[in-house]
Amino acid sequence: MLTGLFSGYEPGNFYDEMFSSAGEPRACYANVFQKLSSMAREQYEERRKLADLSFLIQGITFTVYSDGRGTERLFPFDLIPRIIPNTEWRRIDRGLAQRVVALNLFLQDIYGKQCILKDRKLSRALVYSCPHFLREMVDVEVPRGIFTHICGIDLVRDSKTGEYCVLEDNVRTPSGISYVLENRLVMTRIFPEIFHASEVLPVNHYPAELWRILRSLSPRGEDDAQVVLLSPGIYNSAYFEHSFLARQMGIELVEGRDLVVDGGIVYMKTIRGLNRVDVIYRRIDDEFLDPLAFRRDSLLGVPGLMGAYRAGNVALANAVGNGVADDKAIYAYVPEFIRYYLGEEPILRTVETYVCAKPADLAYVLEHLEELVVKSVGESGGYGMLMGPTADRKTIEQFRSKIVQNPRNYIAQPVIPLSRVPSYDVSSRRLAGRHVDLRPYCLYDGQKVTIVPGGLTRVALQRDSLVVNSSQGGGSKDTWVLRGEG
Amino acid sequence: MLSRIADSLFWLARYIERAEDTARILDVNYHMLLEQSQDAYQLRWEPLMVMAGEENLFRKLYSEVNAENVFEFLAFRHDNPSSIVQCIAKARENARTIRDCISREMWEDINGLYHMVSRFNPTDEIVAGPHRFCDKIKFGTHRFHGVTDATLEHDEGWQFLRIGWSLERAEMTSRLVDVQYQNLLDELPTLGTPDNHQWMAVLRSVGAFEAYHRQFHSSIEPEKVAGMLILQPLHPRSIRFSTTEVQSGLRAISGTSPGSYANEAERLAGRVVERLSYDKIEEIFKQGLHSYLNELSDMFRLIGSDIARNYFYYAVVA
Repeated sequence: MLTGLFSGYEPGNFYDEMFSSAGEPRACYANVFQKLSSMAREQYEERRKLADLSFLIQGITFTVYSDGRGTERLFPFDLIPRIIPNTEWRRIDRGLAQRVVALNLFLQDIYGKQCILKDRKLSRALVYSCPHFLREMVDVEVPRGIFTHICGIDLVRDSKTGEYCVLEDNVRTPSGISYVLENRLVMTRIFPEIFHASEVLPVNHYPAELWRILRSLSPRGEDDAQVVLLSPGIYNSAYFEHSFLARQMGIELVEGRDLVVDGGIVYMKTIRGLNRVDVIYRRIDDEFLDPLAFRRDSLLGVPGLMGAYRAGNVALANAVGNGVADDKAIYAYVPEFIRYYLGEEPILRTVETYVCAKPADLAYVLEHLEELVVKSVGESGGYGMLMGPTADRKTIEQFRSKIVQNPRNYIAQPVIPLSRVPSYDVSSRRLAGRHVDLRPYCLYDGQKVTIVPGGLTRVALQRDSLVVNSSQGGGSKDTWVLRGEG
Repeated sequence: MLSRIADSLFWLARYIERAEDTARILDVNYHMLLEQSQDAYQLRWEPLMVMAGEENLFRKLYSEVNAENVFEFLAFRHDNPSSIVQCIAKARENARTIRDCISREMWEDINGLYHMVSRFNPTDEIVAGPHRFCDKIKFGTHRFHGVTDATLEHDEGWQFLRIGWSLERAEMTSRLVDVQYQNLLDELPTLGTPDNHQWMAVLRSVGAFEAYHRQFHSSIEPEKVAGMLILQPLHPRSIRFSTTEVQSGLRAISGTSPGSYANEAERLAGRVVERLSYDKIEEIFKQGLHSYLNELSDMFRLIGSDIARNYFYYAVVA
């Protein structure tokens, strides 16, 4: 019989990360379960307030500008950790590394010799019709051959099979790592006794590892490398993260207006004149990078930056043009990339995907709209999506005509019932199962892939919601990978 | 150091200083005026608006000059760009753009100050009077100075902060003396005798009341007060002290040795420091206090714009 915070807790028809069956905690959660069971609600509430205050004081907030004055919101943080036993993590780690290497080989190939097209494993039409396939990148030699320096691959656990599968690769400018590091810091302060009992693998080597990779890209050699982080500025919702990472790596945080290109060399404007810049960790999308090459109205970028990049005078991370690999129709072919480039079988499952650009798939999708999730190939963050099972007739019909008009723009997948973790429900003041995903951050130096154990667990705090995005009421949890099995 | 960072540090400091100076002036004058006759009471709020440089905006927003309106306007109004809450908000906004360049303690301190200020309810505070609010602001800004001093490397970034708040302070003190003195002259015909209370308030608002008495004992004489606020070499809020700080900061950045200068800002700062070091208060009054202070204000403005031209917004020939 569950009591205290857990009273009335039901794992339901989903894979529950904490309980193998009602009232039976899994081995990896034994410690946490025991400590939490003996905790009074008031004690828990107190710690929760402490955590919120800590985020507020540190200014770990995102800003909503809809009311004209700018209201700051906390990214909700749930104190119950998501725990992954070591063997399970090792498999995820290998699967992600395999994927990152294959994606990098794909990008090298698609902007180089295009063997995969010549061998007819992927259709030219699909690649060339992707707006993120950038002709400007064809035959560009990127430093050390790396495109995917940082990937934030989204994983979910399918309740039906209990298996992890990949939902998105996010090989452009994934964000969220700062929450991983700050969540951990706050958790160790709020729950020192639980931490002490569980053996949790550390995560805070991420900035040092990223810094090592960035430096290694410098065209003037590592020792002289001037590395900067290029941010759209204070009004960007991820600004906290930009300044956080710059601070942790001890590099300059710059905006487009701080940089200038002269004679194919990038400089930053300092109080003592111009200083050469070698490596740019950019957190600006491709299309805004350089008004001379892409969007002419971009005020965030640096005129001439692409010229300097193509000439090899400056390195960019991630590489330009990675968006083609994030196209959801291309995503469906990643298992094929792994076989084609590595001669291996994929370790992690990919969600079964119907590519509407293929006539057979299109016919199936139009027949089964009520059962499927339809996604626009270029969108992320839960936008441009149809949730077939919960949508009304009218919305379904609207999507049907959109799909018919432009099949290339859509893919469809079966609905994945995401696993759940007990999370604090503010209104009932007890724990309830809430759906989660997992975004590990993968760093690639051209030789090996380094992944800090765990990653960002996002949680849909609304009851029954499957949408974990912060823009749609999602929160986050600290993610623990254990030294052992629990 | 990036030009943009230096620019933000400079303005971060200026806004903090402006918030503190406004709080000081508001607090002291409010309480001094409680002891005044009704006529004088109305009259004396005007200079505060002039000092804040926002008298036109005030007239647009309010029909009557009274204690409540002035307090609300100087402390809380979001549409007054110089109000205390706006200064703190802008200081914090500047700090936010350069979080990676200031210490974590500094950021948390200014962020905490901002959240504290936002929690004040103007309606309650207006009933309670400005002392509680102003005290918190003073304490908050002092703490920020302390945290900055104790946690930030005293490198060139620190020098830009030092220049920022010293230049703002020099300007505010100069404006304070000018406005109060003008006001006094205007009132002489109607009031008959010079009013010491007002000068006591001036001294209090820059925290120099005790220091004045230590030096001159009891009698408050406008000339001595002005002399102290303008020429005193060691009082941290005198114009001379503040300008010397600006000069030292500029030299620390450029590495120029005394007696020479690397840019126009340094040349002007040097010239002002020389004047303030060798002028006597009698000479200043002979020239006319208002015209003397006006010249200083012009200089401060030029120093500010030349710092920007040299370090923040220089032209890049590409």
